Amino acid sequence: MVVPLAAHHGTAAFDTKKSVKLTGTVTDFKFLNPHVLVVFECKNEKGETEEWQGELTAPNKLIRAGWDKHTLKPGDSITVTGFASASGAHLMWIRQLIGPSGEPLPLFEE
Amino acid sequence: MACLRVSLGFCLFAAVTCAQTPAPAPAHDLTGVWMLRNPESMRAFAGATFTKAEPELTSWAQAKYKEAKASNNSTYTLATTNDPVLTKCDPPGVPRVYFHPYPFEFIHTPKYTLMLYEYDHTNRRIYTDGRAIPDDPDPTWMGFSVGHWEGDTTFVVETGGFNDKTWLDRLGHPHSTQLRVVERFRRVDRDHMQIDITITDPKALAKPWSTTFYAELRPKWELGEISCSGDYLDFSKIEK
Repeated sequence: MVVPLAAHHGTAAFDTKKSVKLTGTVTDFKFLNPHVLVVFECKNEKGETEEWQGELTAPNKLIRAGWDKHTLKPGDSITVTGFASASGAHLMWIRQLIGPSGEPLPLFEE
Repeated sequence: MACLRVSLGFCLFAAVTCAQTPAPAPAHDLTGVWMLRNPESMRAFAGATFTKAEPELTSWAQAKYKEAKASNNSTYTLATTNDPVLTKCDPPGVPRVYFHPYPFEFIHTPKYTLMLYEYDHTNRRIYTDGRAIPDDPDPTWMGFSVGHWEGDTTFVVETGGFNDKTWLDRLGHPHSTQLRVVERFRRVDRDHMQIDITITDPKALAKPWSTTFYAELRPKWELGEISCSGDYLDFSKIEK
């Protein structure tokens, strides 16, 4: 797999040894530069609601992979896999995103 | 036995059809959208600098280089770098423009060739009407470029007239206003280009710094907009 270069900041903020997989509901979708953000809620092991912010690549790169600003919307069910913030904040660098259709969405241009 | 002969014949046929000849490069034409795609062996450094080995810096440049806080691929955040492109949205300059992971486009006109970069509306105008780089050019971010063809498929571009505010790469190697960059865009076939880059600067580099980068044509791509402003600079506030 070709690993895209980070556009604006590197991946130093993420713990690339710690992969997490979360299933939740989209609450906001920000299709903006330099990186697209997916905000979602999920329930932790105690049953409490947590808000997470998932980070994707640049919007132009996602457009070339078939996305637009309507690809995700509040209420969509998603399962995301990626690297969590090294600081412990609920922030992740998304490496796979299974969308409402149940299929993984393409995250990388060719 | 008949089955064996049939399958052998099939294999030979398959081998023949697999040996495709790349489509040839058109003459005097780089038109299209291109994306840097350096080979795997270069990936460890080519997102941030030109060569695995350090360039030979003058003592003037070494002192400046010590002040640079790199914006290397995976080892920085906005708080740890002083890259002027990322922290101030300064134009990247040439050759620092090679270190944005976005495509660029060539457009030929009768008197000049345009290079358009997706990153931050960056463009370069490369004069092909025979003029030379002025003797005492006004300093600019992207420089003053002239170009000519060598043979049918190599477009040679020389650029000077830079200010000294940009870095040469994402590691922060500095340059002076004496910077000159020669790029040889060699279209080896329709879909592939090799870019030989030679950087000279008597004030900053003890000897020329050279590399070869690789690009691929992306016929289905169009350049979009990536503006280094607004959301871009505010991103750390939007991001948790």
